[in-house]
Amino acid sequence: MQEHIFKQYDAELEAVRAKVLEMGALVEQQIADALEALTGSNPKLAKAVINKDHMVNALEVQVDEDCSRIIARRQPTAGDLRMVLMMIKTITDLERIGDEAAKIARYALKSNETDRVWTPRFAEIKSMANYARDMLHMALDAFARSDATKVLEIAHMDEEVDEQYQMTMRQLITFMLEDPRTISMALEVLFVSKAIERIGDHAKNISEYVVYMVKGKDVRHISMEEMEETAKD
Amino acid sequence: MTQEIPPVKAPASVLKNLGEVRAMIKRHKLNDYIFSLIGLLALTLALLTLLTLFSDLVIDGYTRFNTDFLTNFPSRRAANAGLLSAWVGSALVMLVTFLVAVPMGVAAGLYLEEYAPKHWFADLIEINVTNLAGVPSIVYGLLALGLFVYILDLGQSILTAGLTLGLLILPIVIVSTRESIRAIPVAIREAAYAVGATKWQVVYDHVLKYSYGGILTGVIIGMARALGETAPIITIGALTFIAFLPPSPVTEVAPFINFEWLSSGFTVLPIQMFSWLSRPDHAFHINAAATGALIIVVTLLMNGTAIYLRYKIRKNIKW
Amino acid sequence: MITPTTAIKAESRDLNFFYANGMQALKNVNMPLYENKITALIGPSGCGKSTFLRCFNRMHDLYPGNKYQGQIVMHPDNTNILEHGVDPIEVRMRISMVFQKPNPFPKSIYENVAYGLRVRGETNKRMLDDKVEEALKGAALWNEAKDRLQDLAFNLSGGQQQRLCIARALATDPEIMLFDEPTSALDPIATANIEELMSELKQKLTILVVTHNMQQAARVSDFTAYMYLGELMEYDDTNTIFTRPSRKETEDYITGKFG
Repeated sequence: MQEHIFKQYDAELEAVRAKVLEMGALVEQQIADALEALTGSNPKLAKAVINKDHMVNALEVQVDEDCSRIIARRQPTAGDLRMVLMMIKTITDLERIGDEAAKIARYALKSNETDRVWTPRFAEIKSMANYARDMLHMALDAFARSDATKVLEIAHMDEEVDEQYQMTMRQLITFMLEDPRTISMALEVLFVSKAIERIGDHAKNISEYVVYMVKGKDVRHISMEEMEETAKD
Repeated sequence: MTQEIPPVKAPASVLKNLGEVRAMIKRHKLNDYIFSLIGLLALTLALLTLLTLFSDLVIDGYTRFNTDFLTNFPSRRAANAGLLSAWVGSALVMLVTFLVAVPMGVAAGLYLEEYAPKHWFADLIEINVTNLAGVPSIVYGLLALGLFVYILDLGQSILTAGLTLGLLILPIVIVSTRESIRAIPVAIREAAYAVGATKWQVVYDHVLKYSYGGILTGVIIGMARALGETAPIITIGALTFIAFLPPSPVTEVAPFINFEWLSSGFTVLPIQMFSWLSRPDHAFHINAAATGALIIVVTLLMNGTAIYLRYKIRKNIKW
Repeated sequence: MITPTTAIKAESRDLNFFYANGMQALKNVNMPLYENKITALIGPSGCGKSTFLRCFNRMHDLYPGNKYQGQIVMHPDNTNILEHGVDPIEVRMRISMVFQKPNPFPKSIYENVAYGLRVRGETNKRMLDDKVEEALKGAALWNEAKDRLQDLAFNLSGGQQQRLCIARALATDPEIMLFDEPTSALDPIATANIEELMSELKQKLTILVVTHNMQQAARVSDFTAYMYLGELMEYDDTNTIFTRPSRKETEDYITGKFG
């Protein structure tokens, strides 16, 4: 990318971008840790995830401030403007993902309580979770590389995650019908899968913002066919 | 994407400390002081010379500062001799000069500045006009003698003298006209054109209106020069002893104006002064000194008027 | 690219322009101006935007040796205003101009505004009074000037002088008004006043404005043209130009990466 005549402007934009990427990396780690705590029954890790959520929130506030300062002082236009707008939206999604990670960590803590009849089996949602994590990773990667082509793949992956969520839900319902004692356990698994499904949605959002940033085209709320059309040109 | 921005290096200072800086400033200030002193000296010298000359004339001639001196004709007796025919002659010649030089000079200046195509021919005229201003006045006298007196047979008259002096100051009027026109910003001209004015409308409504102060100044300064001119007038053969007045330009009967005065013989102030000076009798030298003082005063008054007019007219124009 | 909802007021067709020294300042410029819209010309110094603007009132005719090629056609009458048979004065009667620095005549406020009408031979005092008042009102200067119409224009502030120049250009009911960097000599408040005025004026006429201030183009115009080295690089809806320009050159210029 060509530099601005005003070098300080470049430095400011780059600083915010780095902060968004830092926030993304932190959120990715939070999800990984939360899932690890969940599947590996690690309450210490779960607590650490919950405690670290404020760091995600703090980064969101910082990036927000940086962006408003750039808007006020530099009046960004065109590509710069789209990048600033994209970052403002991205951090909202990242912050929500952080919240979902914390939520998962809280279920991980709960599942480790000893006085429970049934221990929920989270192993089954692991593949879905990995899928969602990959989506987020890809979306952040696309942002880092200003790559608008990833959006299609990520959108397909999101459909996959949604489907897995539906499957998990149907499975859990059969459990609950068979044995009502499993209801509370099943609900916990359901909430966790819902959280993972949400992570997938947020990741998809981010990949869509990347398209707006790079191409100036809004690909939200359109059909897959239209999106393919846009990604082609 | 971002580069390490190299830290700004402080330039190696030529000066070591504040004391040196102050000493340096002092040295430079001294140069200022020395130059202003030289300038003042030069100015004082010039003014002193002028003042000495003027006061010398006044001291020599003050005995003749009275109304008789202005109302008497020349006479063989110095004490009775006066300037009447000379100042009337000067005034009438100036009138002709003015009527010749102003319309011609302004029109020529306007044409050169606004209408003439800008190519080599205009440049040629420009160079010639500038050079004309430097031609010795006696050459104008010779020209006038040949052209006006002999070829056109206008005689050694007020008309001839007026035309000659008019030609003499024409370059001054042209140059000052062009300078004042050029002082009008392009933006004003373009503003006038932009609302749909024609060239003549721009010239009449704007160019002339905003430049006439400068033009007038040039005219007055030119006239002041013409007033003191002797050589060309002598060359065309002005009389030195005239005991009559030209016919009055204004009459009591219709059409109230006559032009006979134009062809009348005449004398002017500097010639009168010259003729008195060339007499051996010292008493006439007193008359000459008084005349010289008068010419200087009138010239100064004219220049003063020019300065005042320029100031007054420029006051409403700011660019 | 542009899908305007209004008619085309004027358009340049394959416009080339050469200065007397042979320099080609405009290269094949094809650009429509839309009626009742503000079109802004942006670009680095020397890109030809002022040259282009000054073609519209044949200002270049004042200086010998300048040469036009191509057409500027005015609608609805389909007159090519660059044609030899068309008198530049006729063009200037239809298209008025506001300059970079306020350039009122050293005359009274009243005479400044009335001058365009006087040039057209209007002598009726009533008519002149009415038109002067209307123009000053249109230029948002009436309240400040109505009690001092006989004052010299130079006694107004810079911003007021520029509005007076707008009034002068407005008094003759032009179809198009050209603004050549109209606020470059003004402070931010006076600038805001002029910008507000421009967006009011577009109800009545079509505006073409050259500006060095990209934010000004973004604030005030409906369409923006980016010019570079005498060529029209990109011309589009101002929203599009400032959010997603299609050419990299435009993007680099408006984001401040040019150079």
